[in-house]
Amino acid sequence: MLSLLHSPKPTFRHLLIGDWFTIISCAIIIVFLFQTLWSHEHAAKVQIRIGDKIYAAYDLNQQRDIILHGPIGDAVIHIEQGKVRFVKSPCHNQYCVHQGWLVHSGQVAICLPNQISLELIGKQKPYDSLNY
Amino acid sequence: MAISMHKWPLRLLVIIAIIVVGVFGMRTLKQEPLYHSQSYVFGTLVDISIYGETEDRAKFFANKILQDFQNLHNQLHAWKPASNNQPSELGVLNAAFANGKKPIEISPQLANMLTDATALSVRSQGLFNPAIGHLIGTWGFQRDEFSAINIDDTKIKALVKANPRMTDIVIKDNTAYSNNPEVKLDLGGYAKGYALDIAATYLREQKVKNALINIGGNIIAIGKHGDMPWRVGIQHPRKPAAIATLDLADGWAIGTSGDYQRYFMLDSKRYCHIIDPRDGYPVQHTQAVTVLIPPQKNAGVLSDVASKPIFIAAAQDKAKTAAMLGIQYFMMIDAHSNIFVSKALMDKLDWLDPEVKNNSHVKLVTLP
Repeated sequence: MLSLLHSPKPTFRHLLIGDWFTIISCAIIIVFLFQTLWSHEHAAKVQIRIGDKIYAAYDLNQQRDIILHGPIGDAVIHIEQGKVRFVKSPCHNQYCVHQGWLVHSGQVAICLPNQISLELIGKQKPYDSLNY
Repeated sequence: MAISMHKWPLRLLVIIAIIVVGVFGMRTLKQEPLYHSQSYVFGTLVDISIYGETEDRAKFFANKILQDFQNLHNQLHAWKPASNNQPSELGVLNAAFANGKKPIEISPQLANMLTDATALSVRSQGLFNPAIGHLIGTWGFQRDEFSAINIDDTKIKALVKANPRMTDIVIKDNTAYSNNPEVKLDLGGYAKGYALDIAATYLREQKVKNALINIGGNIIAIGKHGDMPWRVGIQHPRKPAAIATLDLADGWAIGTSGDYQRYFMLDSKRYCHIIDPRDGYPVQHTQAVTVLIPPQKNAGVLSDVASKPIFIAAAQDKAKTAAMLGIQYFMMIDAHSNIFVSKALMDKLDWLDPEVKNNSHVKLVTLP
């Protein structure tokens, strides 16, 4: 390597098969790590649906209130370090607020009157659909 | 240092680029052909998953199903008119029942549903009783937004005494009348299951191989989710989480009746929408009953209907009631959160709830 650094014309010809192997392995590892660690896909998120549409997905690793504009009025959800819940809702029965914190992937809180649903999305979906 | 900056980073970059493209390409190929839609129809959430179809086709099918649901909803709604000044078909029929024994014309579809619902009502010895619409209304559950009511005991007693039954309805040549003017139909415990069967039949006709349809919690499966069976979670009646999961194989359906879906609290007592036709009061001894239905022509209907009589029956009669309805796979959770599972269903469940995993309160019920 020293001779490589001091050589006035370091070219690929100096690289041996082992060097190539190292470079390519590193590249593969970098790509793999980038995919698994950098991407947000594996971070726990809350997916919000309003009516038929996916409104947004928020990372759960934060603390914030979000105001959602549903068909019958504004609802407030609160995200706090890995969990989420309805805090305020214009609906009559407040089932959504009484549901409390959603923590695990696959958990769902639905406000039928205001057509807003929260679903926690994680690495793996524990099930395709919920029977209730 | 005069390292030829342009020569070897360039070749390296090309190699890395090829690898990156390759890996991303593989991920894209691996992305599953799963279409998923959620909509609010039937006053509830309709959730459709279709696997293995192009997005356009899947979207078309999902929309068609939603449209059918909406039409059924307009036709069968127990208290909402189909449009302004135009009562639903069920509303017209209920008005005719109250007015005496003059037969009125009904659609063949409604005639079939009523005949089928009557047979199921008889089979459940009247515990499944869609004729008690007046009672359900009196308890305030025939409203989108309901609240605690002043319980009118005299009125409830009178409505029970009037004894409205499905067998009071006479259906002949697509006409119907009732021998009892107190009969008021509420198909809330039937229509969702019926809609599931219609949707499943439609998708199979269209040669859709894999789909999962969920109408307000009742689910029917077609085919599989890729290589794996469709997997469903069963809602915990008191926690915002699933209590267990199970595989739903091709043609199987699952339904739950719970006291957590529609209820109000009064003096810290829970009054749910499932009413015992024998005393006219909401059932308070049970939190949830789940039934799993093997493939058959009306699996969807059974998944909706069969949980109700088991829910209403007293603890000691629950297993007997299930047997009466031919239900092998069932689970019930009583007011103290004790869980009772039939052997057949137990073998299929994977518990998610940590309390249940510790086996602290799971009891096995063997069918008589």
